[in-house]
Amino acid sequence: MRYYARKLGFYLVALWAALTLNFFIPRLMPGNPVDTLLAKLQQRGGAVDPSARRSYELLLGTDTGEPLWRQYTSYLGNVLRGDLGVSVSAFPAEVTEVIGQSLPWTVVLVGIATLLSFTLGVTLGTITGWRRGSRLDSLIPATTVLAAVPYFWLALILVLIFSSTLQWFPLFGGYDTYLATGWNWDFISSAIYHGTLPALTIVISSVGGWLLGMRNMMVATGSEDYILTAHAKGLRERRIMTRYAARNAVLPSLAGFAISLGFVVSGSIITEQVFSYPGIGSKLLQAVENSDYALMQGIFLVITVAVLAANLLVDLLHGFIDPRTRVTT
Amino acid sequence: MATPTTPPPGGTTAPGAAPRSGWRALLPGWSPRLGIGLGLVLAIGLFGLIGPLLLGDPDAIDNMGRTPPSTDHWLGTTQTGQDVLSQLAHATRGSLQIGLAVGIGATVLSALFGVIGAYAGGAVDESFSLFSNVMLVIPGLPLVIVIAGFVPREQRGWWTLAVVLVITGWAAAARVLRAQTLSLRNRDYVLAAKVAGERRRRIVIVEILPNLLPLIASQFVYAVIAAILAEAGLSFLGLGAPNTHTLGSMLYFAQNGFALQYEAWWWFVPPGLVIALFGCGLSLINFSLDEIINPRLRLPKAAGSGTGAVAGRSTDEAGTEAGPAPREPGAVLTVRSLDVVYRTADPVHAVRDVSLTLRRGEILGLAGESGCGKTTLAYAVARLHRPPAEVTAGSVVLHDRSGTDIDVLALEKEDLRAFRWDKLSMVFQGAMNSLNPVISIHEQLDDVLTTHRPGMSAADRRARCAEVLTLVGVDPARLTAFPHELSGGMRQRVMIAMAMLLDPQVMIMDEPTTALDVVVQRGILREIIRLRDELGFAVVLITHDLPLLLEVSDHIAVMRDGEIVEYAPAARMYRAPAHPYTRQLLDSFPSLTSARGAFVRGGDTDVPGAAR
Repeated sequence: MRYYARKLGFYLVALWAALTLNFFIPRLMPGNPVDTLLAKLQQRGGAVDPSARRSYELLLGTDTGEPLWRQYTSYLGNVLRGDLGVSVSAFPAEVTEVIGQSLPWTVVLVGIATLLSFTLGVTLGTITGWRRGSRLDSLIPATTVLAAVPYFWLALILVLIFSSTLQWFPLFGGYDTYLATGWNWDFISSAIYHGTLPALTIVISSVGGWLLGMRNMMVATGSEDYILTAHAKGLRERRIMTRYAARNAVLPSLAGFAISLGFVVSGSIITEQVFSYPGIGSKLLQAVENSDYALMQGIFLVITVAVLAANLLVDLLHGFIDPRTRVTT
Repeated sequence: MATPTTPPPGGTTAPGAAPRSGWRALLPGWSPRLGIGLGLVLAIGLFGLIGPLLLGDPDAIDNMGRTPPSTDHWLGTTQTGQDVLSQLAHATRGSLQIGLAVGIGATVLSALFGVIGAYAGGAVDESFSLFSNVMLVIPGLPLVIVIAGFVPREQRGWWTLAVVLVITGWAAAARVLRAQTLSLRNRDYVLAAKVAGERRRRIVIVEILPNLLPLIASQFVYAVIAAILAEAGLSFLGLGAPNTHTLGSMLYFAQNGFALQYEAWWWFVPPGLVIALFGCGLSLINFSLDEIINPRLRLPKAAGSGTGAVAGRSTDEAGTEAGPAPREPGAVLTVRSLDVVYRTADPVHAVRDVSLTLRRGEILGLAGESGCGKTTLAYAVARLHRPPAEVTAGSVVLHDRSGTDIDVLALEKEDLRAFRWDKLSMVFQGAMNSLNPVISIHEQLDDVLTTHRPGMSAADRRARCAEVLTLVGVDPARLTAFPHELSGGMRQRVMIAMAMLLDPQVMIMDEPTTALDVVVQRGILREIIRLRDELGFAVVLITHDLPLLLEVSDHIAVMRDGEIVEYAPAARMYRAPAHPYTRQLLDSFPSLTSARGAFVRGGDTDVPGAAR
């Protein structure tokens, strides 16, 4: 239990840190974002009622003479109530509304791609690490090229080959725009069709990291005493590989999930841009281009919360797989 | 970049202490991988360094828009007729510059937080570690994008970008460095330096840093790759520093110039390729660094696969070289003229011409100091030796209850697997680590039964597991326990129970009680003798503790430098040890008769204290 409590505590601290960063970044930066925003809002015919102004001021900070800590607590209150302000670029939509529309796209895309790439990488890493020095193993250095390829460049190349030249997949978008969004087969199949290349990009770029990490851990685990015991017990090779070696070797991969997920999320933001995918990454860039500060901050916050949640999930899984973390001392 | 420049750790180190502190150990060993890696990095580095000087103005506009590669423009031109090759050279320089700057900055920060935190310990470590973990889970690029979004375009210089990338990029390395420092901090030579009263700063610089250097170098390499990729991403999104040439900004212009739509591959393929190849080169260098950090990743020179390599024998000529082993009456295991060689650059003959006969139900003691080859011998008998060890001559025959003789060295893969544990089981030295930490005791016992006795029902298997645990005095309720929940003595008992599961004829016990305290040792040995009496298996008991063997064994073999120097019944060896080395071994333990035993230290016989 103590393990879980510690983990939960840590993520609460991380969440608080992210909120605080979000609060201070606009205040530390040059310029007066509130005025920029309000000016833009007025251009679009948005009414600047005092509550909208107040909301922006809390979010972005401006010299109102209010003590910083008061602004800070009011800001935290606003965020906890889910009030992230009004989006300028999608006026009069609330920031939360804009995020709500685009978040599912990214969660599904990145979620599936990460799951695929993790499974693929760990499986291949298990096999190559177990068959040390085999021909398969000697191919490992080649995977470093994959890890060093920029996501967006790979996306461009894939688009060139599969969309422009072969015309197997669409050039961009998340679904066929003729279709209405909904839970019907036409729409879902169209979404899968459009999501294949973006997902492929993420899988190809991230699989190398999982593979290499798992392979090295398998090699290290291979010289553990319990592997020798398992051999002496006359167990079948496959069983030793999976239940004895891989079961132990995968733990550090899970522990390192946080680092990798950060890379994947970063990479997929840019990937979305290449494919004009209707996810949260494209929205973030749109917000930056339009100086839609409220939306920008809201999206950063949501991405952070999502990443924290994914990490928490993996940590819980780790606790489930490794009995040693369950010790109640 | 992988060659660290530090003073070699000086004379204050305790003798024989710091491992791999010499200069040569810090340099990666040469390999084709390293060659290719260095080649790629150097070539691209030189291109970025010298290319801009030779290739002219990257911004010069020409009316030859978007032309494919030609003799005038080796990599073609952009939409506005700029020379792609010249742009590539300038962009490479820009990207390398930012990569190096961020790499250095992030490494310094990570070393500061990782090493100092871990070394200082206590509250400092807690807070540093919390800080870097928080920085680690907050996704970097979205943060950078948000920050870049707030900074007006005119105010974004390349160094602003570098600072932001450093701030968001150091945390992962700090975590790795912290873990390594923590383990270094508690190593003997660091503790020795502390006891010797060295100053803290000196300990960090002289004792800890040199051992961290390969790791720091590898983290630096990662940081450079990550920085180049992150900058490329930002610039591609149009959030980079304006008016600077980087590979990312090149791709940004290519994307906005519809290079993709016009299929102007010469415009957008080269920049990505340079990034990928440079990253690949750095990763290949990191492979070599990893092998220094983690020696287990090094491939043994003689690449044999799996365990139990037997050289110079094939199935049909099995046993003929050494001559068919004459079967002594009552023998269960006969070893004849066994030779085991470690095929390294300087081959070591670890076991030479060893012959032993184990009789049914007997306890055969194998004594000798650390490194005499007794463990190698035991592993070779079960064909568990790993490359580079190899059996080069001799025979091992198990005389089965059924009356057939099994030539162990000639067993093929699947037969060997079925033979292990069923006829011959083992109890290893490190009881602490012989059990798989992540699955329960029951699963580990059950594994043996499901593999070797596929016909057994689940209920029968469970009953058998409980039965063997009861035999060794462990409560069957502990079956659901995980290894970390058991004491050292309990774990060893579980191992012994496991060794008895299939009712084997031979049990090899390699220092089964070394890591345990004396009372537990005695208990376990008494248990082994009792079980042997009840179940009638034969035991090869390996230990450096000769007096103990005198007490429990029927026969004793004394080993030295891979050879058996004396092999006799226990009683005779006690009364009249024939070989001078045996006498020396006996004398090195406190005598039972005199009040204070005579310890022999020195000469070539150390007190065989430390196991293995």
